Amino acid sequence: MKKIVRHLNKVRWFVLTVIFSMLILLPFLHLYQSYEAAHAYDLLAPNEKLIYDSMEWLTKPFVKDPEVDLNELKGTTWSGTLFGLKLSDPLSVVGQIAAGKNIYWPFLLTALIPILLTVVFGRFYCGWICPATFIYELNDNLAAWIRKAGLPVSKHKLDKRIKYFVLAAGIVISAATGMIAFATMYPPAILGREIYYSIALTGFGTGMVFFLLTLFFDLMVTRRGFCRYVCPGGALYSLLGRFRLLRIKRDVTTCNDCAKCNVVCQFGLDPLRDNFSQECNNCTACIAVCPTDALSFTLNIKDVKFQGPGHLGHKYKKDAA
Amino acid sequence: MKRRSFMQKITLGLGLVTFSSLPYGLARLLFPKVLADAHTRIPLPGALPNQKDFLEACIGCALCGEVCPPDCVKFHSVDGGFASNTPYIDPSRKSCTLCGYCMEICPTEALTVTDIREVDMGTAQIDRVACYPWVDQGVCGACVSVCPLGDEAIDYEFGNFYRPVVNDGCVGCGQCVEVCPEPSLPIRIVHRSQGTIAKHGAGIRKKAEMLKF
Repeated sequence: MKKIVRHLNKVRWFVLTVIFSMLILLPFLHLYQSYEAAHAYDLLAPNEKLIYDSMEWLTKPFVKDPEVDLNELKGTTWSGTLFGLKLSDPLSVVGQIAAGKNIYWPFLLTALIPILLTVVFGRFYCGWICPATFIYELNDNLAAWIRKAGLPVSKHKLDKRIKYFVLAAGIVISAATGMIAFATMYPPAILGREIYYSIALTGFGTGMVFFLLTLFFDLMVTRRGFCRYVCPGGALYSLLGRFRLLRIKRDVTTCNDCAKCNVVCQFGLDPLRDNFSQECNNCTACIAVCPTDALSFTLNIKDVKFQGPGHLGHKYKKDAA
Repeated sequence: MKRRSFMQKITLGLGLVTFSSLPYGLARLLFPKVLADAHTRIPLPGALPNQKDFLEACIGCALCGEVCPPDCVKFHSVDGGFASNTPYIDPSRKSCTLCGYCMEICPTEALTVTDIREVDMGTAQIDRVACYPWVDQGVCGACVSVCPLGDEAIDYEFGNFYRPVVNDGCVGCGQCVEVCPEPSLPIRIVHRSQGTIAKHGAGIRKKAEMLKF
């Protein structure tokens, strides 16, 4: 069992890569569909012909009538269609209810499956699905290289409760102005939309400037700062997954207090002292790095309290002092 | 019939026609027809009628653009203010074909599935001073032949081939705007209320605006 759990981090990276590449592929498929609808292959420019040919080669085994059949798979993680099943981000539903001050049930039901999954798995969206996480984790690796080179970057720590105030402020702004404020400041929504704009429409919009600023914030100020301290979606998922069922648990009899899990945790949590809390996004990086297989999943609605140091009985430096 | 009485009758008839048309001519002189401003950013088919309601419902997911076969859906950038990231159609660049995919895929109530004859994106309006067949008997008829709704939306004026007239069935999809070959831009999409006002008494609206300032 534990052997399999160790490989979940690779599975997670595969899922993130697939979702991010789908975000890039879907606008190309949209272009292919619009060329197909125009019935004017001979009038296409050479680069458009290249898009048409490559997309035709990709989709030919799966679809009969690309103009209609490719509509089965559309959208971004903000809101999309997965083979007829409409799925939406719970944050978009919260923003829409706040802005419109009415509940549109068909739209609320599209967020039902994500909400139920969040109640069981906690902030799994942040670690496993969010297309911005794909970029943010690579960005964090870059920060690690810069730190290795000797520059003391992204070492500040802020208060984790800031993001709940951001969520509340977003709801208040949405209700006051009648526009959904989260759509302009929620990185996965921005990223999905801007990738579509840049490929199928005129080019990157201003949302990309905001996203690059958050990247710079993560790189220079704090580690994974936007996800941990600002992101309103993360705040919502933390609240929904407060009593989540699936948690990571440390087995104290096999732990040797090497603290690799604390180093590898990008959310700055404390697996070494059994301190996962509602912020944990089940990314399984700590499970993958643990040399003694002490960390594994468990079903419990509460974290266990600090079980003391591992089987070798070493005292932490901090406790000894 | 005597020649004299015949001439008298003709003069009387002409006089009657002239005098009876005087009020209309005077009214047209005092209240000239004013064309409404063209909408370059018209709403999508099936959109909530009120712009404010639409902005409250739209979550900016860009799904309507992704399913649009003619790729006509554009999105407001920051210049749209509160409308940023919400969709619009610019019919002079690319017009809606009323396929209805965007209404089906929209997850919110911003776009609801509507029969294409009940879609309200505005109405077309023809500037008869700029339209080629209306000015000098030119041969065109592009807007009438391209219209997806047929003669209940746009048709030739009775007895005048190639002179287009917009009817009440027009839903404002803008295909006539896209296809119109004239550089003088004689046809445009306006808001439905503006279209009727311009038809029946634009001068009143203009006077009201003058009184306001």
